[in-house]
Amino acid sequence: MASSDLKREKNYLGPTGTTVPVAEFWLLTAAGVALLMGVWTLAATSGIMPRHFLPTPLDVFNRLQYLITNSFAGHLYHEHLLASIGRFLMGWALAVGIGVPLGLLMGWYRLLDEIVTPLFDAVRFVAPLAWVPLAALWFGTGIGGPLLIIFVGSFAPCLISAYRGARLVDKRFVEAGQTMGANASQMLRHILLPGAFPSIIAGLRVSAGLGWQSLVGSELIVVGAGLGYLMVQGQGNLSTTTVLAGMIGIGIVGFLIDIALRAAESAVKRRWGQS
Amino acid sequence: MPRLTRQTSVTIGTLMAVLVLWWLVTSGLGLVNSLRLPSPADVFDAAKQIMTKGYAGGTLWVQAMQSLGLVAKGFLVAIITGVPLGLLMGWSRRAEILLNPIFLILRPIPALAWIPLAIVWFGLGDAGKIFTIWLTAFVPSVINTFTGVRQVDPVLIAAARTQGASTAQVIRHVVVPGSMPMIFTGLRLSLQASWTTLVAAELIGAFFGLGRVLNVAGQDIYPGMIMVGMASVAVCGAATTWLLGKIEHKVIAWRPAI
Amino acid sequence: MSEIIFEGVTKRFGNEATGFLALDTIDLKIEDREFMAVVGPSGCGKTTLMRMAAGLEFSSSGSVRVGGKEVLAPGPERSVVFQQFALLPWKTVRQNIGFGLMCKGLPQELIDKQVRHYVELMGLQGHEESFPHMLSGGMQQRVAIARAYIMQPDVLLMDEPFGALDAQTRIIMQEELIQLARKNPRTVMFITHGVEEAVYLADRVVVMGKKPGRLLEIMDIKSTRDAENWEKLPVEEVMDLPSFVHLRSHIWKLLKSKEAGGAGDH
Repeated sequence: MASSDLKREKNYLGPTGTTVPVAEFWLLTAAGVALLMGVWTLAATSGIMPRHFLPTPLDVFNRLQYLITNSFAGHLYHEHLLASIGRFLMGWALAVGIGVPLGLLMGWYRLLDEIVTPLFDAVRFVAPLAWVPLAALWFGTGIGGPLLIIFVGSFAPCLISAYRGARLVDKRFVEAGQTMGANASQMLRHILLPGAFPSIIAGLRVSAGLGWQSLVGSELIVVGAGLGYLMVQGQGNLSTTTVLAGMIGIGIVGFLIDIALRAAESAVKRRWGQS
Repeated sequence: MPRLTRQTSVTIGTLMAVLVLWWLVTSGLGLVNSLRLPSPADVFDAAKQIMTKGYAGGTLWVQAMQSLGLVAKGFLVAIITGVPLGLLMGWSRRAEILLNPIFLILRPIPALAWIPLAIVWFGLGDAGKIFTIWLTAFVPSVINTFTGVRQVDPVLIAAARTQGASTAQVIRHVVVPGSMPMIFTGLRLSLQASWTTLVAAELIGAFFGLGRVLNVAGQDIYPGMIMVGMASVAVCGAATTWLLGKIEHKVIAWRPAI
Repeated sequence: MSEIIFEGVTKRFGNEATGFLALDTIDLKIEDREFMAVVGPSGCGKTTLMRMAAGLEFSSSGSVRVGGKEVLAPGPERSVVFQQFALLPWKTVRQNIGFGLMCKGLPQELIDKQVRHYVELMGLQGHEESFPHMLSGGMQQRVAIARAYIMQPDVLLMDEPFGALDAQTRIIMQEELIQLARKNPRTVMFITHGVEEAVYLADRVVVMGKKPGRLLEIMDIKSTRDAENWEKLPVEEVMDLPSFVHLRSHIWKLLKSKEAGGAGDH
C-alpha cells in the first residue's frame, strides 16, 4: 500500500488524479509570494538598474502612503482612484446598455443580425486605443473621449455574449412557451431573457476586464485626473515609485471588479440551477 | 456565377448604404464639419499620400511592417515562454500552487499600465515595445494552456499508461495534442492582446509604426489620416488573426467538424 | 504463468467509522489463460476490482498479484479495453493500434507489419487512416481490442467493452471475441452487466453482490460448454439451449435475491 500511494503521488494518471495536502498547499502558496517579492527586491537592490528606476516593494509602499496624504498631479491618490472608477462605470454602463439589448435583438431577428454583423466585423479589429486620436478630435479634452475608449473596449464581449445567449436558448424552452400560448413580450420576459442570462453574465465579466484596461489606456493619453494620468505624470517626472503605486491601485481595483462579477456569475448560476 | 446568399446581399446593401450616407453627411450636404468627420474623398487622399510619399516617417508599407514585425516578435516570445509554462503548471499540481500567487497578483494589472514603466526602463525603442507585448500576451497563453492540460480526459492518460507509455510519452502523445484546441484559444487571445498593446504603446511613444501614424495624425488634426491609420490597424489585425486560424486548422485536423 | 490472484482485497472510501465499504475481503483466483466473466449489480465494485488488476486503482488492504508479482502500476502486460473505447482522437486508427509498440521503441517496419496483421484480424481494412470520430462505435471498439491484443499481453482486462454498443453490433462483437479468445488464449477478466454475454463468453462466471461488494458464487461454464459443443453452434442457437437457459436463470435469480443487494433491497 505504501508503494501504491507512491505511484499515485507521482502523477501517474495525470494532474487530476493527484491531491496535494492542505499544509503543503499553503506552504507552496506562501513560497510563491515570497518568490515574487524576493526576486523583485533582489533585482531592485542588485544594481542592474539604478534604484531610482527599479524601487523595492517597500519604497513603493512608502510612496503610496505619501501620495494619499499629499497631492500629486493635482489630486490626492484616492481622488485619482475615484475619478478612474467613475469614468469606467459610465463607459461600461454605456457598453452594456447598448451592447446587450442589441446583441439579444440580433440573436432573435435574422435581418438585424445580417445588417449589423458586417459593420461590427469591420470595426472590431481596430484596437480600442487606436480610437484615441479620433476621440480627441471629436470630444477634445472632455469626458467624451475616455468614455468612447472605454465603450469601444468593452462593447464587443457584451454584444457577442448576448447574441450567443439569445441564439443558444434551449429550443425546448422556446417550444414549451409556444405550446403554452405565450405572446412575444411574455416569451421575452420569461423564456428568452432568463435563458440568455448566464451567457450575458459571463460576457459582462470579460467586458468589465477589457473596459478597465481601456480606461487605463485612455487616461494615459487624455488629460485629466485618474490613476492612469497619475502614472503618466509619474513617468514624466521619472518617479518610478509613483508609477508603481498607480499600478498597484489599478491592479487591486481590477481584481475587485473581477471578483464582484465572478460572484454575481455564481449567484446567477446557483439561483437558476445551471452548472 | 454563384448565387448570392441573403447574407451577402444584405452585407453589400448595408455597406453601400453606409458609404452613401457617409458621403452625404460630409461632402454632399456638408452636415458635419470635415474636421470632425472626414469625407470619403479626404480619406482617399490621405491614403494616397501615405502610400506614396509617406507620413510620420515612412510610407504605409514601412509603418505597417514595423508594427507587424513588433507584434510578431512579441507574440512569439510570449507563446514560447507561455505555453511551456502553462504545460508545466497544468501537469504539476505543485508547480501550479507555487506560481499561482504570482499570476494572481500580476494579472489584474492591465497591460497598458506597464507602458510607462517600460518607457522608463527601455525608452521608446523596440525592446520596450516587445517587453510590453510580452507582458500582456504571455498571460492568456499560460492560462489557456493550463486549462487545456487539465481538461484532457484522464481515461486517455490511463489508456496510454496501460500500453506502457512513459511520462514523457504521455505528455507528448496525449497531453499536448489533447490541449491543442485550448492552446489555440490562448494563442488567439494572445494575438489580440499583442495588437491592442502594440498600438497603445506606439501611440504613447514610438519612432515608427501605425500607432505613431495615428498619434501624429491626431496632433496634426488630420482626420483623413486618422481614418487611414485605424483602417490599417484593422486590416493588419484581421490578417494575422486569419493566418493563425489557418495554422490552427492544419494542426487540429483531427477534430470532428463542429 | 499469468494468473490473477486477489487476496483479502478490501476497498474502503473514507475512514473506518463513517466510510463506505466498496469491497469486502475479496478472495478470487483467475487461472492462467482462463476467461472469467464478472457480473453484478451497479455499484458492486466489479469495475474497481478490474482496475486494481490493471494498476489504475489500489486496495485499502489485501493484495493483488498477477503472475506472482504485486500490481503497482498500469502496464502493457495487462492490457485494458475500456467501455468508452479511450482511443486517442488525434491519432489515426493505425497510429492508435501501434501506439503501445511505439512506446516500447520497436522499429517502424516491425510496428507496421504487426499493425497490418491486426487490422486484418479485426476487419478494419480501409480505415487505417481514419480518425476515431469517423468510425462507428463497433469499429472503434474493434480498434480498442486490436490495440490491446497487439501488445501480446499476458492478461486482458475488459471493462464492459460492449456496453456502449447497440444490440446487433454487440452480438457480432461477442462472436468475434470468442474467435479471438479461442485462437489466442490469454487470462481474461471480463466485466459486464449482461448475464447472457457472460455465460456465452466465459469459462467461469463470478457473481457479485453489493453493499458491501462481495463474491456470491462462482459458476463453472466450461464443462457444460465443452460437453455440448457450443462452439459449433451459432449464437442464437446456443442461447436457446436448455443448459444455457438454466445457467442464465440461476444467475438472474441470484442477482435479484436479497443477498445481491439489488432491487428490492435497501
